[in-house]
Amino acid sequence: MAEEKTRVDFNAPASIVERADNAAELLDISRTQLLIDALQDELDGLADDDGFRSRLRDAYYDERVDFQTVKSVLGQEEAMRMKLLRASIDREPPEPQLKAELPTDEEFYDGEVPVWRSDEAGDGDDAESTA
Amino acid sequence: MDDKPISVVDTNVLLNLATPVVDGRPAAPTGADPLKALLSSYHVHVPTSVIGELSAATGSDDLLSAAADLVLKASHHLTTHDVEAKIDEPLDYGLDQGESDGIWLANTLDAPLFITDEFNSTNYLFVSLALDDRNTLFTTPHVLCKLASHEVLPSEYVDAALSYYVDSKGWDEQYLNQLRHKYLRD
Repeated sequence: MAEEKTRVDFNAPASIVERADNAAELLDISRTQLLIDALQDELDGLADDDGFRSRLRDAYYDERVDFQTVKSVLGQEEAMRMKLLRASIDREPPEPQLKAELPTDEEFYDGEVPVWRSDEAGDGDDAESTA
Repeated sequence: MDDKPISVVDTNVLLNLATPVVDGRPAAPTGADPLKALLSSYHVHVPTSVIGELSAATGSDDLLSAAADLVLKASHHLTTHDVEAKIDEPLDYGLDQGESDGIWLANTLDAPLFITDEFNSTNYLFVSLALDDRNTLFTTPHVLCKLASHEVLPSEYVDAALSYYVDSKGWDEQYLNQLRHKYLRD
């Protein structure tokens, strides 16, 4: 696929350029190809990185990055999910209608509220409660 | 007849609302009851299959089972509909039967509120597609925030509950932070 190319100039520590050139020579590829491969690997890795995905979600929900960016990194379905979810934040659920105070547990439930405690927790010091 | 809005929910929503209420561990939020708050503020309708799914979740000695027990104790506040007898063509969006029944019911009742907790996965896309009006689609954390903004639930409780769900259920934290920002912190 003949995608359009952009020229990039950047400065890098001489030692890492030397290492890259040595590796490229051994692999029999150009320095440019090595750099493109390395960038591709890094970006693919980020797409699977939870920390990066969190940052991307934050940025998208905050409208600091656009849909196309999310789509290019996380794929179409995930980007669509986030688009719909972001749109839903601006909507309002129907107004809850509560005429009086909430009923007591006895009125509301048929009996007491069960309380579950994990077995391994050896600190069962809080009082039994039905709150 | 009062003017409570009609809401259709799926089994997971009810279980998720009941979980912090029955969870006696220190990490669980205390001092309020989101299940009671929802069922008291909206007319909550469910397919009959929800009751079966809740019953199936009981009987073991774990948190899910305790949550299912609690929902069943409150099941007389739910309006059930025998959906299976009425559906001609099942919805085919790769959703499970319970969800499909719920969406069918929401469409049939023209409900202004359908609540799902399927927002962490691409199932959210399918739920959205299957609803006649996707503007009726909301999530449990969104509705909890709405209840907090109307002082049906304390804001501090909902804030703590959102953190609890992030930790225990892996809910999209960035999305919940947006809801916090909109409803809980001015």
